[in-house]
Amino acid sequence: MAPARRRKEHSAWLIAPGVIWMLLFLVAPILLIVYVSFWTQTTFKIEPTLTLQSWKMFFGSDTYLASLWTTLRIWLIVLLATFVVGYPTALFVGLFVKNKTLSTVLLVICVIPFWTSFLIRVLAWRPMLGKEGAINIILQKFGIISEPIEALLFTELSVIIGMTQIYVVFMVGPIAFMLGRIDPNIIEAARDLGAGFSRIFWKIIFPLSLPGVVVGAIFVSVMVLGEFATAAALSGRKVNLLGNIIVTQVGSLKWALASVVGVILTIVMGLVIAGFLRIVDLKREL
Amino acid sequence: MKPGAVANGMTESKPIFRLEGVTKTYGQVAALSDVTLSVSGNEYVSLLGPSGSGKSTLLRVIAGFESPDKGRVFFEGRDITEVAAHERGIGFVFQNFALFPHLSVFDNVAFGLRNGHAPVAESEIGPRVREIISLVGLAGMEGRGVHQISGGQKQRVALARTLVMSPRLVLLDEPLGALDANLRNRMRNELRAIREKLGVTFLHVTGSETEALAMGDRVVVLDRGRIAQFDTPDAVYGRPATPNVAHFLNRYNIFSGELKGRQFTGPFGSLAVEHVTPADKAAYAVRYDRMRVEQGAATGEGPWIAAKFVASEYLGSSVMYFFETDDGHVVEVEHHLSLGVPQSYEPSGRYTLRWRPEDAIVFGRG
Repeated sequence: MAPARRRKEHSAWLIAPGVIWMLLFLVAPILLIVYVSFWTQTTFKIEPTLTLQSWKMFFGSDTYLASLWTTLRIWLIVLLATFVVGYPTALFVGLFVKNKTLSTVLLVICVIPFWTSFLIRVLAWRPMLGKEGAINIILQKFGIISEPIEALLFTELSVIIGMTQIYVVFMVGPIAFMLGRIDPNIIEAARDLGAGFSRIFWKIIFPLSLPGVVVGAIFVSVMVLGEFATAAALSGRKVNLLGNIIVTQVGSLKWALASVVGVILTIVMGLVIAGFLRIVDLKREL
Repeated sequence: MKPGAVANGMTESKPIFRLEGVTKTYGQVAALSDVTLSVSGNEYVSLLGPSGSGKSTLLRVIAGFESPDKGRVFFEGRDITEVAAHERGIGFVFQNFALFPHLSVFDNVAFGLRNGHAPVAESEIGPRVREIISLVGLAGMEGRGVHQISGGQKQRVALARTLVMSPRLVLLDEPLGALDANLRNRMRNELRAIREKLGVTFLHVTGSETEALAMGDRVVVLDRGRIAQFDTPDAVYGRPATPNVAHFLNRYNIFSGELKGRQFTGPFGSLAVEHVTPADKAAYAVRYDRMRVEQGAATGEGPWIAAKFVASEYLGSSVMYFFETDDGHVVEVEHHLSLGVPQSYEPSGRYTLRWRPEDAIVFGRG
């Protein structure tokens, strides 16, 4: 009994570095942000006198509230787009490619865009989507359009296209992983019991891949909700996400309001993750 | 045989399925070559073969998971070679059970009724599922998740899931392979009992010769993609058709040698043989329990072979003795304890192993 308990005490030390790291660089800063959001902000100074001033400013301003709705709207659209583009890809890579080496190669191909920097990946969309960009030139060459489509760049659409391209791989990975773990015998068993492909997909394959969908959705949500760079580079400052507000406020040393937005963003992310975790019991599935 | 005679013989037990010249190759390897087989209804057939003999492929071809390169598959008199697996109505029980992990016992069993190509009314599903669940002895477990039940219970769910579809033929791919020895013996009896109750034909693939002999009304022995023998367990055990069948049975000492006319020359010298079983290669087989051990050097008439004692193994109802001949061949002798107390032999001691010539099976191009 005693040696076993001692071993348990020893093994508890293994998580000490992680716990210390998280306390210092995650829990403490978050608490600090919450605290700072109640500080008093004047034009050039910030003082630790507690006030609701910054909170009132956020909820009293149409601009800030609009950016909250924009963030939520773009998040939902990008989430849906990554799922619609990502699920069939994952289905192909994880289930229909029987050769494990080939499916690994295909997943690596999905990750190739990550070999270059984030900013380049975002900016590369400009020559693609621009008024004289690749897409417009090609469509004009084929005579499909006579005038270039201007709505492609510096709009909400370009932000959505850019984000979907960057984050879709985070949807593909977890889903392909879950699909790859499905025992092929299970699918054959369902076939043997007389089920056709669509029945097998909806009754067996999709439910078994759901934990992957949830993990992918959490990845994409967390990254999209905190986004600012794609919007800054591709929207021509027309799309202001909560992330962009934080960047601007910090840039003009408005720490209190930046903290308010930070706290709101954290709460939104917490709610989103909690919501997804209610769909699937990940503890049981993984 | 005249065609009329065949038809007459089939009125008693019409073939439930028939394979005609089925051939299946993977790359260069022939998993099945020219397999022709006919199995009658209401029968328990075991399909025995070592790993790589093509027995799983044969089962998958019948189920429709693989299509043969050549040959036809008939089921209840109908050519089903081109029919998709989900439209064949042949049951399949997987070695690893392949239960749907996210469904309860009830929903697993009800899957085929709900999602099959001939959907059944929900009001009819309940009674049918409960009936089959209690037939396999799982009454009261309907609501459990398949992670919450033991291996033996999973096996029963897998069986119930297939049987609820009322198939005429059930294919079982090493169904007892994932169970521990105790449970395996119990499930053997139960599989037979369930089959007899329902009057379904079972085709049971196994790599275990004891399982194949114990369970099958008839036994198919598969050897490198070909059917080496198809007969009753008794006949397979007592009169293996080829040296390889004798080898798979794991009950025969097999000596290689040469057969010239009626004369077999092997490590024990040259013997006149009376009956030769036609086979591709010459071999001389003697069952383990047909050999006797004598002290010291041989005297008198043969056949016999000199060997040194290596080890013994106690099996409960019998003892196995292992001897080594001068050419390094291991010879096994089984002594049933009902025939007398076991002898103890001197390690590395020289002995003579003797058998009656009529107990030997001689193979060769006769």
